[in-house]
Amino acid sequence: MIGLLSFPALLVLVFLRVPIGLAMFLAGFMGLVLVTGDMSLPFARLKSETYTTFSNYSLSIVPMFLLMGHFATLGGMSQALFKAAEGWLGHRKGGVAMAAVGACAGFGAICGSSLATAATMSRVALPELRRYGYSGGFSTATLAAGGTLGILIPPSIVLVIYAILTEQNIAKLFLAAFIPGILAALGYMLTISIYVRMHPESAGTRPRVGYLDRLIAFTKIWHVLLLFVLVVGGIYLGWFTPTEGAAVGALGTGMLAWLAGGLNRTTIADSFYVTARTSAMIFFIVLGAAFYNGFLAITQVPQEAAMWVAQSGYNPWLILVLILVFYLLLGCLMDSLSMILLTIPIFWPVVQELDFNLVTMVELQTYKLDALIASGADISTTALSKAQALLGSGQELSRDITRELGLRGVSKGSLNRANIEHTAIWFGILILIVVEVGLITPPVGMNLFVINAMDPKTPMIETYRAVLYFVASDLVRVTILVAFPIITLVLLPL
Amino acid sequence: MLNAIEKLAKGFALLGGATLSLLILITCASIAGRSLNSIFHSDWSQSTIPEFANYLLSLGVGPINGDYELVEAGMVFAIFAFLPLCQWHGAHAKVTIFTSQFPLGAQRLLIAIIECVFALALIVIAKQLFEGMESKRNSGQVTFLLEYPLWWSYALGLSAAMVSALVATVLAGTRLMELFTGRKLFPEAKDAEH
Repeated sequence: MIGLLSFPALLVLVFLRVPIGLAMFLAGFMGLVLVTGDMSLPFARLKSETYTTFSNYSLSIVPMFLLMGHFATLGGMSQALFKAAEGWLGHRKGGVAMAAVGACAGFGAICGSSLATAATMSRVALPELRRYGYSGGFSTATLAAGGTLGILIPPSIVLVIYAILTEQNIAKLFLAAFIPGILAALGYMLTISIYVRMHPESAGTRPRVGYLDRLIAFTKIWHVLLLFVLVVGGIYLGWFTPTEGAAVGALGTGMLAWLAGGLNRTTIADSFYVTARTSAMIFFIVLGAAFYNGFLAITQVPQEAAMWVAQSGYNPWLILVLILVFYLLLGCLMDSLSMILLTIPIFWPVVQELDFNLVTMVELQTYKLDALIASGADISTTALSKAQALLGSGQELSRDITRELGLRGVSKGSLNRANIEHTAIWFGILILIVVEVGLITPPVGMNLFVINAMDPKTPMIETYRAVLYFVASDLVRVTILVAFPIITLVLLPL
Repeated sequence: MLNAIEKLAKGFALLGGATLSLLILITCASIAGRSLNSIFHSDWSQSTIPEFANYLLSLGVGPINGDYELVEAGMVFAIFAFLPLCQWHGAHAKVTIFTSQFPLGAQRLLIAIIECVFALALIVIAKQLFEGMESKRNSGQVTFLLEYPLWWSYALGLSAAMVSALVATVLAGTRLMELFTGRKLFPEAKDAEH
């Protein structure tokens, strides 16, 4: 009972302006006191819980990626990215806005934070957009939406937190975010093209750039490509752990910023201050969440909720859609990381029980068989051809055949594990998109505030009007990704 | 007084940033050492430049021993050192949309209460971290690879945790003073950044 009531109590605290980390900390603390009847348990947990939370090796990615993002800002990479994208796209209808989105996508590939992406690209792209006659609201809305590519395209701080909460592989989540991230950028460009056709007065034209100049501008973004391949590629290929990848990225961007003359005492101190504020904020929420989750685990509420949903026999797709709608609504009030830390511990056990059949036994057996053949193992040829014929016609292999082939990892349990992992990753990407919509929806879309502060002459209401087109684009994309999980999961190994 | 506290918060943020940078360098050096180590151990090096490769290997070219432990211990200090500035600038994520409709007096009262609770929470956290340090010291627990006493890392974190508690207490006191005197001593908290 206390467990069930704690969530509304927590929401009341949050809506009363109590910082989200503190609210979760208090709810967890009071909850433990009420459940156990005295203060000794929460006090005892505090002796080591702050230390173990702050020293979490995977979490140390967060400040490193934050610092990397600020160094990237200082290295003039945003300028180079915008110039390169502008060369190819600038002369089209709405082309400068498309270039801004393209440059945001590029910057998102080395920066894991939306606000940093939005702020950095705005500094470069806003003056250009205004120079070529793009209207105020359209320009600010484009950059606010483009900024969300910062967390969609890996590396992404929100995905790191999600991976830690659901105990999933960070590298696989980054990989799964790749296609949805590209789709987001393309979707925004399409939105721009539709917008300028409906509002021709909102965009001017820009002369064509020669192909040679385009190529020259393109070669100037070598450092961004190099860093992306090194960090994200290195993490995925297992050259280093995600934390090590973040360290390499931070050092790399730091050196590039230094070479570009962007590092001096003031800028370094400022990067430290901003990293400090954001890291401390995130880690305090993580601490509060750990405390609250510890309390929830004692009350068994998440498990009971999961059991209830599993036994209720509701359509899993309906539950998924309800959860996504809940995030869209909450996203209008709260920032993305807080939402994820607040809700995933409750939603994830539930979602885990939902069966979306993302992986079938035939797919798993085909994958394992291909891996077995590739490993060069000694397989009886008659059994192999029989197995391939069966799988080809969409039939499962019986235990006799798998035993004869020496095929491992195809049990019911393995299938179940593969399904849970795929569900976790797919759900994570969907959540990432819906919480990111919250960054550009009125009334508290942080990206809108950041950009409007940089362009005070544009009234907020004009930004709101134009940004709705981008929100629509997000909603279409999330619908497509829900309907076709394969788009997200196609790159993943089983 | 307020200026001194702000300097303290900023100073610790810089210390934390320096620690973070150091951890980044250690991690990168460890990766470089690990890569070079496997290059020198490779068949190619062992057949073409065996003496040079083995000489370097004998110098200890390889991953830094216990780099994970250093990152973990350093990160505890860095995060605690980041907290005072976050506190001072009011950079914690919060939902202001409902309370901004409240009358000004009620908002001030609410903020003062929240700051007091926050300060209390940070004092309790620092106090319990101290207890945790004492128990690690009494148990004599050492880290796995570097085998230094674990309570050292606790002590480092504790130093910054105490500064966080101090900054939060001063901030809470300032808000209370403002509430009673009606004078503005310190600007309104800024909104969070992410």
